[in-house]
Amino acid sequence: MDDVQEMRSPRTLHGGLEARHSSPSYTLGKRRTDHNLLIPEADLKGLGAELHYTQRGGDITFHGPHQAILYPIISLRSIGIGARNYVETLERSMLEFASVYGVKARAGHKGETGVWVGDRKIGAIGVRISSGITSHGLAFNIDPDLKYFEHIVPCGIADKEVTSLRRETDDMLLPSEEVIHEQLVSCLAKAFSYDDVVWKEDPSFILDNQEEYKD
Amino acid sequence: MALRMWASSTANALKLSSSASKSHLLPAFSISRCFSSVLEGLKYATSHEWVKHDGSVATIGITDHAQDHLGEVVFVELPEEKSAVSKEKNFGAVESVKATSEILSPISGEVIEVNTKLTDSPGLINSSPYEDGWMIKVKPSNPAELETLMGPKEYTKFCEEEDAAH
Repeated sequence: MDDVQEMRSPRTLHGGLEARHSSPSYTLGKRRTDHNLLIPEADLKGLGAELHYTQRGGDITFHGPHQAILYPIISLRSIGIGARNYVETLERSMLEFASVYGVKARAGHKGETGVWVGDRKIGAIGVRISSGITSHGLAFNIDPDLKYFEHIVPCGIADKEVTSLRRETDDMLLPSEEVIHEQLVSCLAKAFSYDDVVWKEDPSFILDNQEEYKD
Repeated sequence: MALRMWASSTANALKLSSSASKSHLLPAFSISRCFSSVLEGLKYATSHEWVKHDGSVATIGITDHAQDHLGEVVFVELPEEKSAVSKEKNFGAVESVKATSEILSPISGEVIEVNTKLTDSPGLINSSPYEDGWMIKVKPSNPAELETLMGPKEYTKFCEEEDAAH
C-alpha cells in the first residue's frame, strides 16, 4: 500500500507526496530504452521481478524493497518553477539528506541527472510533468539488493556503479527505515519551502488540488 | 548556477537577434527578468507555446522562456501528419533532465507538417526555439482561437509574474 502525505505552506497551494513501496521491478521511461535491460524479459520472473513501462523521463531503473521512492505531486506553476529547477530541487533534497549521514554526495554532471557519491549512483530521478503537475519522482537507495542493478545499464549510463546509504555508511548503525524515510521526506519538504507535512487518510485531496490548478 | 543560466540566456538572445534579421520576425523589446527573449509578430499561450500565423498555416513551438526552464532537451515526441490537435490539449512531449514535459497546442487544427529534424537534433529547441526549433505546422480549424492568445507585451509580463512567484 502506498502512503500519501500533504505538504503545506501558507503562501502556496499544497503539494501531495506519495511514498511508494515497490516489490522488485524494472521500469522504463517514455523513450522505452529496453536495450538497457541486459537479460531477456522472460528471465525476470525467475528473479522475482516485473517490467513496467511509464511516461516519465529518464532511462531504465530498478525499484525494490529498502529504497525510498517518493513521488511529489506539485503544481509547478503555483511555485513558479520549471522542469529544470524542479529536478535540481529534488537533487538538492537528496544531497542534504545524504549529508545527514556524513555521505558526501553530489548532483549529476550534465546528462547524468541524479545523485552520486563519487562515480557511484545513490539516487535516481525520473519525472513526468503534465499540465504543469508533477508525477513520478525520485528513488534513493537505502539498502536495496544491489545485485538487481547488474541486469540493467542503470539509467543508461554504462561503467558506473550503483550504491546505497548502507554501503556508503560502512559500519555506522543506521536507524530504522521509517526514521530514515521521515528524514528524507523532511528534506524534500524543506527544499520546496513547505512548512509542514501531514499524513492523509484519503488521497483524493490530491485530485481536489489538481482541479484548482486547471486554469 | 545562476551565472550559467544568465550566460546561456544571453547567448540565446544574441543568436536570435542575428537570425531574426533574416526573417520577418522583429527582435524583442524588453527582456524579462530572466533575459528570455519574446518576439514580435507571434502569439503566446500561458503554457509557454508560441504560434506564428501565416495565412492558412500556423507554426507552433515553445518559447525561449520555456526552453530555459526545461533544460537541455534530449528527446522530442511529435504527432503524425494529418492528426488533429486541440486547443490546450497535449500534442507531444519533450524530455530534459530526466523529466518528460507535455506540450499543449495553443490552437485547434490539423497537423500538416512536423519538424523531423528534432528527432536527431532535439537541442534545436534550446538553441533556436523560435526558428529551427519549430515543432509542428497546423491548418487552424478555428482562427478565432488566435485572438484568445497573448501578444508579446502581455506574455512578457506573464513570464515576469510567474517567475516572481518563486
